Order: sequence, then C-alpha cells, then structure tokens
Amino acid sequence: MTKKKSEAANEDQTRDTKKKSVSAVKSSQKEKPVLAKQVKSSKEEEDLLLDSATDSDYDGDSLSGSLNSDDFDSDVFDSEDDASQKETEGGDKDSSEDELELHGNEDSDDDDEGEQVDSENDEEDGSDEEREVAEESDSSEDEVAPRNTVGDVPLEWYKDEKHIGYDITGKKITKKEKQDKLDSFLANMDDSKNWRKIYDEYNDEEVELTKEESKLIRRMLKGEAPHADFDPYAPYVDWFKWDDAIHPLSSAPEPKRRFIPSKWEAKKVVKYVRAIRKGLIKFDKPEEEPNVYLLWGDDSASDQKSKHLTYIPPPKLKLPGHEESYNPSLEYIPTEEEKAAYELMYEEDRPKFIPKRFTSLRSIPAYENALKESFDRCLDLYLCPRVRKKRVGAHSIINIDPESLKPKLPSRKDLRPYPNSCYLEYKGHTGAVTSVSPDCSGQWIASGSADGSVRIWEVETGRCLKVWQFKEAVKCVAWNPLPDFPILAVAIGQDLVILNTELGTDEEQQKIEELLRLGTLPEQDEAVAAIVSWLPDETYGGIKIKHFKNISYVDWHPRGDYLSAVMSAGETRGVVIHQLSMHKTQRLPIKMRGLPVCTLFHPTHRGMFIIATKKNVRVFNLQKRELAIKKLETGLREISSMAIHPGGDNLIVGSKEGKMCWFDMDLSSKPYKTLKNHPKDITNVAFHRSYPLFASCSEDSTAYVFHGKVYSDLNENPLIVPLEILRGHSTSSNRGVLDCKFHPRQPWLFTAGADSVIKLYCH
Amino acid sequence: SQALKSLQVNLNLFRRLCIVKGIFPREPKKKVKGNHHTYYHVKDISFLQHEPLLEKFREIKTYQKKVQKAKAKKNEELARLLLTRQPTYKLDRLIRERYPTFIDALRDLDDCLTMVHLFAVLPASDRENLEVKRVHNCRRLSHEWQAYISRTHALRKVFVSVKGIYYQAELEGQKITWLTPHAIQQVFTTDVDFGVLLTFLEFYETLLAFTNFKLYHSLNVKYPPILDSRLEALAADLYALSRYIDASSRGMTVEAKADASSSSQSNDRAESELRLAQLQHQLPSSEPGALMHLVADKEVEEDEETRACKSLFKDLKFFLSREVPRESLLFVLPAFGGTVSWEGEGAPFKEDDESITHHIIDKPSAGHMYLSREYVQPQWIYDCVNARIILPTEKYLVGRIPPPHLSPFVDNEAEGYVPDYAETIKRLQAAARNDVLPLPGVGKEDLEDPQNLLYAGVMSRAEEAEAAKTKKKMAELEKQYHEELKKEVTGSAVDDVAAAPVVEGGDGEESSVPDAAQIAQDTADMPTLMMSRKKRKLYDAMKIGQKKKSESVERIKQRKKNLKADQ
Repeated sequence: MTKKKSEAANEDQTRDTKKKSVSAVKSSQKEKPVLAKQVKSSKEEEDLLLDSATDSDYDGDSLSGSLNSDDFDSDVFDSEDDASQKETEGGDKDSSEDELELHGNEDSDDDDEGEQVDSENDEEDGSDEEREVAEESDSSEDEVAPRNTVGDVPLEWYKDEKHIGYDITGKKITKKEKQDKLDSFLANMDDSKNWRKIYDEYNDEEVELTKEESKLIRRMLKGEAPHADFDPYAPYVDWFKWDDAIHPLSSAPEPKRRFIPSKWEAKKVVKYVRAIRKGLIKFDKPEEEPNVYLLWGDDSASDQKSKHLTYIPPPKLKLPGHEESYNPSLEYIPTEEEKAAYELMYEEDRPKFIPKRFTSLRSIPAYENALKESFDRCLDLYLCPRVRKKRVGAHSIINIDPESLKPKLPSRKDLRPYPNSCYLEYKGHTGAVTSVSPDCSGQWIASGSADGSVRIWEVETGRCLKVWQFKEAVKCVAWNPLPDFPILAVAIGQDLVILNTELGTDEEQQKIEELLRLGTLPEQDEAVAAIVSWLPDETYGGIKIKHFKNISYVDWHPRGDYLSAVMSAGETRGVVIHQLSMHKTQRLPIKMRGLPVCTLFHPTHRGMFIIATKKNVRVFNLQKRELAIKKLETGLREISSMAIHPGGDNLIVGSKEGKMCWFDMDLSSKPYKTLKNHPKDITNVAFHRSYPLFASCSEDSTAYVFHGKVYSDLNENPLIVPLEILRGHSTSSNRGVLDCKFHPRQPWLFTAGADSVIKLYCH
Repeated sequence: SQALKSLQVNLNLFRRLCIVKGIFPREPKKKVKGNHHTYYHVKDISFLQHEPLLEKFREIKTYQKKVQKAKAKKNEELARLLLTRQPTYKLDRLIRERYPTFIDALRDLDDCLTMVHLFAVLPASDRENLEVKRVHNCRRLSHEWQAYISRTHALRKVFVSVKGIYYQAELEGQKITWLTPHAIQQVFTTDVDFGVLLTFLEFYETLLAFTNFKLYHSLNVKYPPILDSRLEALAADLYALSRYIDASSRGMTVEAKADASSSSQSNDRAESELRLAQLQHQLPSSEPGALMHLVADKEVEEDEETRACKSLFKDLKFFLSREVPRESLLFVLPAFGGTVSWEGEGAPFKEDDESITHHIIDKPSAGHMYLSREYVQPQWIYDCVNARIILPTEKYLVGRIPPPHLSPFVDNEAEGYVPDYAETIKRLQAAARNDVLPLPGVGKEDLEDPQNLLYAGVMSRAEEAEAAKTKKKMAELEKQYHEELKKEVTGSAVDDVAAAPVVEGGDGEESSVPDAAQIAQDTADMPTLMMSRKKRKLYDAMKIGQKKKSESVERIKQRKKNLKADQ
C-alpha cells in the first residue's frame, strides 16, 4: 500500500515539476509527505544494497541495539530537512486537516493519473478499512505522533492483551501474529536487507531504514550533527549593531588593570628568567646517558674486601638428567601402571617430573610450568636462608661417603673373648623365663619362670637339677653371693622365699639349716611389721617373708647377709632390706621419691645403696642415714634396670625406650654415653664380674654384648665398643629376652627368653 | 616485621630492596623466636638502611602521590607534566657492589640468563604489567649473549629437554648453564606473583647488559650493537648480530694492521667492509692496547676445548628447513664452526646451493631431495655437539625415530646406570679419537669412506674387546661376590637346619650360628651405635638417599628388562 502510494507520490512530484499546475503552497505541503514516505519506501533498494556493500563497517546489529526505534523516529524527522521542519512548525496544529487534505490530494492525483493505481488502491481499501486508516494516519503522522497513543508506558502492561494500544481514534491496535522464531530467523537470514530492519515494539511493526536514515544514524553515532549540511562552526553573525551607539554599555570607569602591566606576571617572568639563567629550567631534553658502560674495568679491585657480610652464592639448579630429555631412552618412561600409582600418591611424594617421549623435535609442546618454576626459583633466591655447608676435605658434606662418618672402633678380634654364639639351651620351663641367676661358683644356674617353677641347672651340661613349683609366677631369683651359702632368694607375688638349694657339703648344709630356722623373731618396728612378716615356708622348708605388695626385684648384698626387696607399688615404703642372720627387716631410713624400680648394693663400698626410681638414680649411704649422696640424671623416660661395674664407679642403666646410659659416677651426674641400641624396651643390663664386658637384653629378643673397659687412670674415659648382637630367642606374646646374666668366671652370657628357653652364649 | 619497622618501609618495598640488593635471610645460631620465623642479619638490614636506593624509592613514592593528587584534581596537564619528569633509579652501582669482579657476575649468571631467555618469549601483557619494551629488551640481550658465545665458541653442551633447551657454556673457567624455553607461545599461569618476577628481571636485565658490554668490549666491539635493520626486521637478530660482530672485529683487525703500516688506507677499506663497521672507527682503536688485546684474545682462544668446539662442524654447510627451531640451531651451529642458512628471506645462501652438506629437516618426509647432501633431524646436531664427534647420520635420517637424546650433564658411572646409546656414542668417540690423529678432518666423507669406516670398525672392535675384558672382569668379581653371598646364605641355611635338631635340650657341642648375612649386617651396624645422634641422623639420611638412588636405577633396569622381554 505504502509502496504504491509513494510511487504515486513520486510520479506526482515529477508531474508537479512538469506541469506546474498545482499551487506553490500545495506543493510545499505535498513535499513533506513525499519525503516522509520516502523514508518508508523501498524504491531505492538497489542503491541501498550498493550502499550497504560499500559501508560494510556499519553494523546493523549494533544499530538496532543502540537505538530505540521510537527515539529514532522522532529525532530523525525533527531534523530531516528544512522543509519538513517548517512543515512541522506550520502544520502541527492542523495535522488532521493536512492529512485529510493530503488524502484528498492524493486521491485526486491518483484519479488524474490513471485507473490502474486507483483500482489497486481501492482493492486494498476494501480488504481492511481499519488498517488502511491506521496506516494512513501512521504514514502521514510520523513526525507528529506515533500510531499508538498509549504514551510512554511499559509495554509489559500489554503483554497478555491481544492489542498493543490504541490508535488516534481510540480503536485497539491488535498485535500482529508472532512469527515462529525459527521461521523469522530463516527469513532474516534470507533477507539481505535484514540489517536495515528494526522492530518497533511500540507500534508492533518492522521498520526498514533507508539510505539517508542509515547515514543519519551513522553521523549521530559519530557524535556529529545529524544533518550533513549543518555546520556547527558557522561564522557568528552579531545581531547587535555597534556602529552607531552613542552610549557605552557600562558606565563604570575603565579599571586600572586594563592599562598597567601586571606586577605578578612580571614577577613570574623574572622568576622564570632567573631559573633559566641558573639552569634550573632546561628546554632541551636531557641527553640520554649511555646506560651501560664498562662496569668491571680491570679486576684489580678483586682484592677489595667487601665491608659487609660474606656473600653466599646461591646453589645452582640441578642439571637435568637423561629422564628430562624430550626423547629419553625407553626405559626411563614409566609404564602405565606406574603412572597410575603416581596418581594415587600424596602430592609431596609424587615425583616432580614424569618423563615423556616425543619422537621429533617439532612435536614438543610448550612447557606449562616454565613460569612457575622460574618463580619458585626466585622465591628460593630471596626467601630461603642460605647456609654455607661445612666442607669435609675437598668434598661438600653431601658428597662424602656415609661410611666415613662411622667412628673408628678397635677391632673386635682384639677384644676377645666375648660371648658370640649360642652354645647351650636349657629347656624345661613351660612359661616365660623371667629371671636367671648363676651361682657364685659358676657351676649352677637358677631360673624362675612365669609358670611358677624355679629350676636349678647344671651350667656345663644343661641338666635340670632341681625344680620347685610355686603357685604364682616367679618374678625374680637371686643366688646368695657367698660361696658357702648356696641359698636362693625367690620373689613370688608378695612373698620372698629363701630356698635352701641343698647343694654343697653337709657342713654347709647344717649352717644353712641353722640360718633358715626361724626361732623367736626379733621385735620389729610397728611400721615394718605392717608391711613385712617373717614366716616359715611349709612346702620347701625355707623362710617366707611376706610383704604387703608384690615384689618386683631382689638383690643380695655382696656379703650375703643383707637382701633388698623392691615393691614397685609400695611407693615410699617400696624398698625394704632384710637381714637374714637376724631375721630382721629394716625400712629404708631415707624418704624415697618416685616409684622404685631397682636397687643395688655397692660392690666395694659397704654402706652404699643405689636406688633407681623411674626417672633418676640416687645413691645413698645407709650408714650415715643422710640424704642422697648423689643423684644421677638419666634423662630417660622410664628406667627398667641397672647394673654396676664391679669397680663400683661405673653404672649402666637400661630404659624402657631402648636406651642404655653409661654413668661414670666420678665424672658427672650426666650420662657419659647414651646408646640407643634396641628398638624396644631394655629388660635387663648386666656387667661381667671380671671381664670388661657388659650386656643388655631387650624385648626385641636380642641381646647386645659390649666391651666396656674402665681404666684405672681416672683421666681416661671408659672405652665402650659394641661387640655382638645375640639373636636366637623368639618372641612370644610380644616379649623377647627377659633377663641376662654373665657367668661369674667365664665370658659367657645367660639369657632368659619369653619363649621359655634359657640360652648360654659362649665365646 | 622488625626489619620493616626499622627500615620504615612496607613489605613490598622491602622485598624489592632485598631482591635488588641480593639480601637473603640467614640461619641464625639460635632461633630466638622459634622455627617459623625468617631471620635477617642485623648487618644486612643496616646495610639496607644505608642504601641510597631506599631514599630513591621513597622519593618515587611521594612523587607518585603528587601525580595522583593532580589526577584527582582533574589537572591532567600537570599530571602529564609530572609523569614526564619521574625520578628514575639505576642499578649499576648495585651490580658493582654485589659482584665486585667480573668472575663473580659470571658465576651467578645462570638464573639471570634463564630468566631473561624465558621473558624473551613471553607475550607482553597489560594485566601483568609486562611491557613490550621489556620483552624486546630481553630478546635483544639474550641474542647478544648468544652471539658472543657463538662467536667465541664457548658453548660446550646442549640438551633438549621437555622444559626447554639447556645450554652450557664455559667462560673464564665458569660453567654457565641456562635454559631457554621452546620457541612456542608461553602461557601465563595465575599462581605466580609477577611483581617479584619483574623485580628480578629488572636486576637481571641490567646485569646481563653490563656483562654483555664487558664481553663485547673484550672482543673490541662497540657494545650497543647497531644491527642491519633488514635482518632485524626478518627476526634473524642472532644472525645479524653475529654478522655485526664478525664485521666489526674484522674491521678491527684490518685497522690495527693498517695502523702498523699506513693508517690512511685502512679507513676506506674498513668502511667498505660494512656500513656497521663505520661506527667502529670512533673507537679508540689506534692505541697499541687494542692490538695487544687482540693478540691476547687469540691466545686465549687456543684453549684445547675451544679449538675442538670450533672445528667440529668446520667444513660443513647446513641448511635449516622451515620447521626446525631456527634460533637454537643458528646459535649452536656457528658456535661449533658450521655455516648455516635457512629457508626464508635474508638467508646467506639458498636451498639449491650445491655445497650444502647437511639439510636439517624435521618433517616426516622431505619433498625434493638433493643427492649431494644428507637430510637429518635436528637432534643429530645436538648429539654431535655433546659427543664432540660427527655421528653417523643413518639413525637420524628423515622420517625415522631418532635414537634417545641423552643428557650430557649426567655422569653415567656415578649414576650407576649407563644407557645403551651412551655406550655406542662412547665407542664412536673412542674410534674417532684414534682415527682423527692420522687422518685430517672428520668430515662426512671420511665416515663414508669404507676403508676408513673399516678402520674405525676395527678400532671400535678393539675398544669393544677391551671393554668386554673389563666387563668380564667386573662380571667375575660380581659373580664371586654373588657366590660368596650365596655361600653365606646356604651356609646359614645349613646352619639353620643344623640348629633345628639342636633344640633338644642340652647336649652342648653344637653351636647355632645365626644368619651370616645377619652377622655381616650387624658388624656393619656396630659402629653406628657409637655415633652421636646428629651424626647418626645424617648417616641415616645419607643411607636413605643412596637407597633411593639405587632403587631408581634398579627400576630403570627392570623396565629395560621388561621392554626387552616384550620385544
């Protein structure tokens, strides 16, 4: 419809010029709709197509996005051209009249022209009159008001309605049928002019821009005046006539500043001049100094000592090995399983670099960690403390042979004899052998077991001589150190039983029986009586000394008359000393601290008594009844056993953390040497009576034999050399070797295992 | 933080100062504040305190405030003006301070070179504050360095790894190793603090610039080299540089000679050499020192290894195909005395030059093959360089998978495992060493010459025999050892068997000997008991390290066995 009309109008225009029959006013009025219609017309399609081809930089999408079609309409037509502007000024009031007039005009023109156009027009008119009216109004009213009269309201209000608003006559403007998206898209794609089409949702129609309009928009996007002819810098034409004015505009007198030179400016100038003279202000740019020069002229300055701290050069990065090659040997590449295993590893354990293989140089990709590694290196350089490593000889400490760290020890061959191989096994116990004790002659050995039996074996043959059976497990057995009193102290539960072994001559036996006969017991202190009671032992005919707590350890005085018993649970009353000849018991005259573990009588000094509590070892003099003479700080967590050198100055202490301390009691109260030799608890330690040997046994079912030589020269430190690890016991119920004792004469070692075997190790 | 307080700087500035001054934390004898603190030396901090750079940094900070103020007041003009007159600082004094001698600087050049080479291939990025100018500067510096190394034939080892290409050069007795990334666009990672990197780079750039100056000075070449712009535009900087050095040093020699005889002629001749050489005339070269220096230079070059390096590719002419890493090869080949050209503009000779002996190509197949030359993969070059002999090219021909590329930095014997190809190379080396002396040149023809090959073969056979002998000896020893071990084991087993019946109770003549290996172990462990705790821990750590190493070697051997079994 519009198309035809515009055609008609065009023809009309041409005819106007030809015939000049229409009046000037009319023609000017007519020009406006013509132009307006030209906007909508698509007559210059071909031209525009060309245009779009040339102005390819101009983007249709951005246009539709950036411009609202409503604004566009009004703006564009406001500044369309002079004629239309005038038209709007003039014809705003009676737009409807204009329209009518136009209509009439056109009709008449059409009539004038010919039937063809007219008939078509009529046909269309007949098809839908309403629309025609609406369109008519739209086409003519473009600059004045849009077709829709709803005003500036959100279009969402009409979202659910069938109409989009009302036209000037108050009729509803129905919405067009929405096209399928796909179809519309396809249509758009097919349509080459698509980029020029804008959907005006306010009026619910598609607007196609003409060439002029697109030019206009482009100009506006550039920020220029929309119209090409508009000159923003037109020369100013003063409307005021100055020539013939008699009076000045202002009657104020001319100010002084108009005709005297400015003082401040002069000052400023002087300042600048001075600055220039002084060279403070330079007009030419300062010359570029060469920023590199010969920094190190000659190295004569090398002797110069720097004043500050020594510079430690950073360690160089590790040089790459074969595996980092882009094409390493095949054996360097981990298999798939290994790679999978790497994935399962912890982040830290995972190898930093997994070798890869590329068959040609061109296929190597960029290394993604290059920056990261460089950064890490930088961090190392400026954040890591640097230490100069000690150098051993020519090599740094890292390169030295670890074997060279080992101390030089005297050859073991020179330190013979020492027990090194299992010579005999004594079997017969059914429970773990908790304690062994060789008699002082070295002919017999007594053993106590957890099954409650105490046995005496012949050392040389391994024959079991005697068996005593008790109801409770035997904790500890100890031979009397006197050779003519072959009696045995056995700790069973709360009882300490003194057994007559019935060895030795008749004369001796008589003495023993006399000793073991409990006559009238001497009066005891009340405090002692509360914890100890002397009883005859019915079953085996010895003495039974009943204590108030379980006895854990028994030790004889070297003279054989006294005997100390330790009750770990007894706390301050945990240590008692029995005198066998008097059948008497003494409490320790000194107050104890901590739980007693082990006691020792000093081998040479008569009244000296050594008590090991869980943490410390204290040495007392019983005769003087004073506080501890000496306190040895072991630094161990829990002491388990203790043994003293026959010389009496050196002491070894075994602990439950597997450490063994050697104390030189003359030297210091701190250990002279601490050896961590066992992974598990040390159960017992022992010194040899005559040979320079000592041993430790542990729950890990091994026993260590050491050479421990104490020199008579006090200035010389004792020599400790590990000699042998004795294995052979098997672990049973998590216990290994429970006791070890040296043979009194020979360099032999007895070990009692939890596997109910006693072993004799010989040289 | 104590240091920060006393210096009155913020952490960033402190870090920066530390980086440029080369101050690092120290390990104090007694850590007063605990293990998780870093401790700087008091002297170091006071050293920083007296640093003029600190003042300079403060000045810059206040100046920045001025600029910001101007901007905030919309005083664009003033801001612009202020920005043009920013205070700047220089690091030259610091370099002198940190490296009092040139050797010191060379010693610490590794990281510097690696970093500069890395940044030379990074894309400039606004976000990371990495300007194009700096990237170009890095590229220029790295090329200058490479040109020098290549010119003085100081390059010793090259290794192509996954991470990049490692080069090792020897300058004034210092081994300098650096890594250049592969010439592929690098990517930025996010977990990197670029501020730190750039500060380091700043220092390194300055350091390398001064080092280059010194090096060029020792060659009597004017330092900021003026390059042929045509070549530069073609991104053949390295080639341009080497041309430049060649030209200028040649100019120097000519000039020096002329000085001795007649000075007037020389200028013209030198001028005709190249237009670059013109600049050389301004240099104070007429002094006798120049000549002396040159002579000295010559003498220095008579170093054994340098000569070997210089003559490796002496009579060979190479042509690089388009897809091979040109920069690397342009650096390596001249460093070992070869002549190179490449596909593309500015190349010294064209592909159809008849005298080309080797065509380096990295394609599955070559298009047009000239019969007069050999088509090899680039790895051949690197392997030749590392082996210092011309390797036979059969394995490296086009389209084949080349033999493994081995690291020249590994001491195979110390590592405990020698790859097969290393052995082959060793044999070839030995062969070459024997036949190089009687026959001049190790050209390709020599290798092709059947007689010569035969000779080499004989030599290699002899070598092999020798190797076999030693190997046999080794094997014998090993066997012996194994036998001993076995004996021990069996002995112990026997003993165990013997010990078993012993356990009857008490016939005392048998002695149950424990495991022999156990005993050996015990005897070895004995002295460790007596070590102090510190030493023992060190010992244990070393043992662990050794074990790891041997384990990895074992693993590799196992893999090899598996591979062989597969084949």
